[in-house]
Amino acid sequence: MTNTTMTNSKEESRPSPDVPATPKEACIFLSEYAAWLLGCGATCIRIEKNVRRMAERWEMVSEMTILPSHIHITVWNHDRSHSYSNIVRLHHAGISFDINTRLSKLSWAVADQKTGFAEAQEEFAAIVRTRPANPWMVWVLASLANMSFCRLFGGDFAAMAIVLIGTLAGYRLKQIMLEDGMDTRFVFFCCAFFSSVIGAAGYVFHWSGTPEIALGTSVLYLIPGIPYINSVSDLLDGHYISSFSRFMNALVLTACLSAGLCGGLLLMNINWL
Amino acid sequence: MTYLFNILQDAFFAAIAGVGFASISNPPRQAYKYCALIAAIGHATRYVLTHNSYGEMNLIGASFIASLAVGVLTVFLAPRAKCPAETFSFPALLPMIPGMYAYRAVEALLGCLTHPEEARFNHYLYLLSYNGLTCTFIILGMVIGATVPIFLFKNTSFKATR
Repeated sequence: MTNTTMTNSKEESRPSPDVPATPKEACIFLSEYAAWLLGCGATCIRIEKNVRRMAERWEMVSEMTILPSHIHITVWNHDRSHSYSNIVRLHHAGISFDINTRLSKLSWAVADQKTGFAEAQEEFAAIVRTRPANPWMVWVLASLANMSFCRLFGGDFAAMAIVLIGTLAGYRLKQIMLEDGMDTRFVFFCCAFFSSVIGAAGYVFHWSGTPEIALGTSVLYLIPGIPYINSVSDLLDGHYISSFSRFMNALVLTACLSAGLCGGLLLMNINWL
Repeated sequence: MTYLFNILQDAFFAAIAGVGFASISNPPRQAYKYCALIAAIGHATRYVLTHNSYGEMNLIGASFIASLAVGVLTVFLAPRAKCPAETFSFPALLPMIPGMYAYRAVEALLGCLTHPEEARFNHYLYLLSYNGLTCTFIILGMVIGATVPIFLFKNTSFKATR
């Protein structure tokens, strides 16, 4: 009887391979996880739910603060006798719903006990190595999308062709400048300027019956829609700092886009009066 | 017949725009068809609300209702696609962005800056305010309309990837 009791107590004290041995291990993993999720464009409510789901499965308690460019997280063991805190800078991975989806699936796999801690770490490392979609495919699809946009606003076929060429040129410029590591705001200004100059072809050469639609649509592929949507989502969930930060980021990019458009209009001396 | 053709044409181009803008945010492959479907339904809904013989609705109200439809569809299609609901919201909303109002607001801003005489300045200021406010409220209505269903149906929204 005594032996059995001793064996049980030894088994209880030995960490299971499915869960992190200490709050430190859990905290380091969860902070990296949250930083990647924030960097790929997830909303605050999703980050909190995913992290809490995994911590609860490991019988730990987690609390986190989501700041504009950092994650601050503390993890306790179940009786709150030990804790570990970590602050991690967000990973600027670019918006990726693929990474967002796979990280969310990983949190459910952990919560449903389909994946142990060691496996989760391996899977996490594989997910964050995911390469973005083929840039050439994105280039063509985004340009076709902006061309369709022109049609939705009532543009004629000549206007659609102008918008297609303007977007092909502008979006390629965006890809090249971002690959070279240039400042995002400067990239938005240059691309808007470049696309609007091409978009003015309808006015300059009288090719289209709806030149103002071609010009107005030519820069819309640059609108930072996801930060705006995430900003409202965070606002509704009470994450005001994150909401304000995302909104200001989007507003600055929109201002750069507008400045580029104004530059294009002034250069081409478009008579809008 | 022409009316039906116009609705289908609107939905078709919105679907292309939805897929194209979705590709910018690197969604999973299985998400593309849902992005196209939701964008098409959302934009066609707004088209019907603003172009019909029973009383054409104001663009701000129509955009809000269409965005609510987009929000509800994203929540209930997300578990089927096994993707977060947000994956579909942005591509579906973008074709509804009031681009021409935004463009006219920028034009009017330039008009203000280049016309110091009071009468013309006031005219451009009026255009800037009208287009800017319309654009802002359409976007606000759209974003709130698409986001509210995600919060109303939290259980469905956040279990989509399970």
